[in-house]
Amino acid sequence: MPKQALPERFFIGSILLAFVMLVLATVGIKSQILENAQFLILLPSLLLVIWMGVKTGRLEIFTNRLRKYATGWLIAALTSAMVWSFAQKGTQLALPILKDLRKVWNTFEPFALFATAVFILFCLVLLVIGTRDSDLERPGYIESSLVNNLSSKIAAVPMAFTAFGIFIMATLWTVYHSFTNSRLLPKSELIGFGQYERLWSSDRWYVSIENLAIFGVGSLVFSLTIGFMLAALLDQKTRFENTFRTIFLYPFALSFIITGLIWQWILNPDHGVQKVVRSLGFDNFVFNPLYNADIVIYGVLIAALWQGTGFIMCLMLAGLRGIDQEIWMAARVDGIPMWKTYLRIVIPMMRPVFITTLVIISAGIIKVYDLIVAQTSGGPGLASEVPAKYVFDYMFGHQNLAQGFAGSTMMLVSVLIVLIPLAYLGFGRRKHG
Amino acid sequence: MADSADVHSLDGPRGPKPRKKLSRRNIILYGTLFVVAVYYLIPLYVMLVTSVKGMPEIRMGNIFSLPLEITFEPWVKAWSQACTGLNCDGLSRGFWNSVKITVPSVVISIAIASINGYALANWRFKGANLFFTVLIFGAFIPYQIMLYPLVIILRDLGLYTKLPGLIMIHSIFGMPILTLLFRNYFTSIPEELFKAARVDGAGFWGIYFRVMMPMSLPIFVVAIILQVTGIWNDFLFGVIYTKPANYPMTVQLNNIVNSVQGVKEYNVNMAATLLTGLVPLAVYFISGKLFVRGIAAGAVKG
Repeated sequence: MPKQALPERFFIGSILLAFVMLVLATVGIKSQILENAQFLILLPSLLLVIWMGVKTGRLEIFTNRLRKYATGWLIAALTSAMVWSFAQKGTQLALPILKDLRKVWNTFEPFALFATAVFILFCLVLLVIGTRDSDLERPGYIESSLVNNLSSKIAAVPMAFTAFGIFIMATLWTVYHSFTNSRLLPKSELIGFGQYERLWSSDRWYVSIENLAIFGVGSLVFSLTIGFMLAALLDQKTRFENTFRTIFLYPFALSFIITGLIWQWILNPDHGVQKVVRSLGFDNFVFNPLYNADIVIYGVLIAALWQGTGFIMCLMLAGLRGIDQEIWMAARVDGIPMWKTYLRIVIPMMRPVFITTLVIISAGIIKVYDLIVAQTSGGPGLASEVPAKYVFDYMFGHQNLAQGFAGSTMMLVSVLIVLIPLAYLGFGRRKHG
Repeated sequence: MADSADVHSLDGPRGPKPRKKLSRRNIILYGTLFVVAVYYLIPLYVMLVTSVKGMPEIRMGNIFSLPLEITFEPWVKAWSQACTGLNCDGLSRGFWNSVKITVPSVVISIAIASINGYALANWRFKGANLFFTVLIFGAFIPYQIMLYPLVIILRDLGLYTKLPGLIMIHSIFGMPILTLLFRNYFTSIPEELFKAARVDGAGFWGIYFRVMMPMSLPIFVVAIILQVTGIWNDFLFGVIYTKPANYPMTVQLNNIVNSVQGVKEYNVNMAATLLTGLVPLAVYFISGKLFVRGIAAGAVKG
């Protein structure tokens, strides 16, 4: 069996390799070479198929148990050939309707050509292998990859496309181009770490990082403590629990833009809290966080906490509800005060919930952008800049793409630094429990 | 309305057999909750009150005071005349854009994610876990790193700055969390049901449409709630992947309120803010417990 599977594995492997080349060519790295190389790699697969067919010595199409699958792949090949033909000038002249979507067809042209070639290969290989193995009970490698559970695999195509074609490829593309000197348009010549040196010598980036650190620590500490305390208060068999929960959670349904605009208004020094307190007689009262560069980030923090704490409370409440009620009985019997039960027993038991919450909060912190735009627009001056806004401004405002790419790569790195240990903690826990 | 319900809770404990020893505890408990609830409600109250005051009253008075006379002019103005710096036809344009973006995005993303979740839960194939891990990982990668490549992809497809392009983006970025949601739900359905359907001869699609979908209406509702609020509230994708004529409501709201030219009309701004918030708030208050269940299930289970 392993001996037989070897050429089959080689076949699948070379098709995967060719596909990777196609993707790289589409992304724009050394496009011409890779575009040609993908078909060069497909050639040995074709030879392999022919060799396998010759070795089998017969091609009984009508008794082949894989016949209907081969037909399926042939139809798929014809479909993609049709898409390819839509991109050709002649077809477009003949069928003018196609012209409206010209750009779409042109984008899919290389993929369609490749798919046609690969599907025809699949069809051939099914015929060959099916004939060869027709007296075997056990499915071979190709059979299990191309035939078994096929609907499920086809249904998963959008997911695979999103996961690899978009998430992974887009990330790699950006990381690669952060090492270039792209300005208005992306260029592919590498220049080394120049963009990163510029990034780390920029004052604006330092302000952004500092703000993110204050904002991050603040929202972690406060939303975890406030969220947990509110959840604990609601977990005392409290009456009107639903009313309170509805009130605490409604800001979470509102967008960051709305949150930012409301708090911009409440914290407005000429009309908001400051004026109200002054009109009560405290003439020297000063509370204008949004116009004071030193504390502006705390003004944003207030708004963020108002918006998000209800959600943390809900997570904590779900965690508290998952705790065995007997714990409380046991603690009461032993005469342990309630706060101590929470601190020593309940919180350690809720470790997985805390880890999940921590991951959710940290992922949210690094992405914070809308709130700043709505509430302060980064001001006064640059005092409330955050990395996400830095990246956005350089990519879409200052026509300095590579600088934006470098900034976003740093954001990715920091997410990885935070997430990998947490994921490890989370998964490590699951293995034991 | 909610306030009056809370005031009753301060009348005293009315639970079964209130013990005297607990009453002080209850005062502290409900007192704290009441104060926090008031804090949470203040911004909504301020927004509402400001949006029905006239400008002179706002300049003179106190943002927390009730309006002396109620006027709905700011609401009308916010809906049909407010200026964004480019055009002056108010939020109505953004509202319809948002509707045109939200409805197809919700339908497409839920259709794809539910089928993916079903394939992952019931028809596992080799490598499925790898796909899934990468997909979930994608939910945590900062969007900023994928913004520009997606601009290129959309431009190549000729969809950049058009609504279908933005719909595609929302469907892509909605996929990780929705797939997780559906996968977890389908895994919790007893496997015997699936096996019975298999024995009866149903295939991949047959089981999905005849067994799984009818059984999982609640999770579909939860997914719809999540997506409607998420897409309606989106700002980043709207501002990048559309042009001013196609801006969704949130982007237009920000442009109206933060536009530098002209006299600031705070009442119109607050009316516009409330108008934009009405849809997610309505979804939230109507769906009630399902909203809570949705976000809790989507987050804790992972």
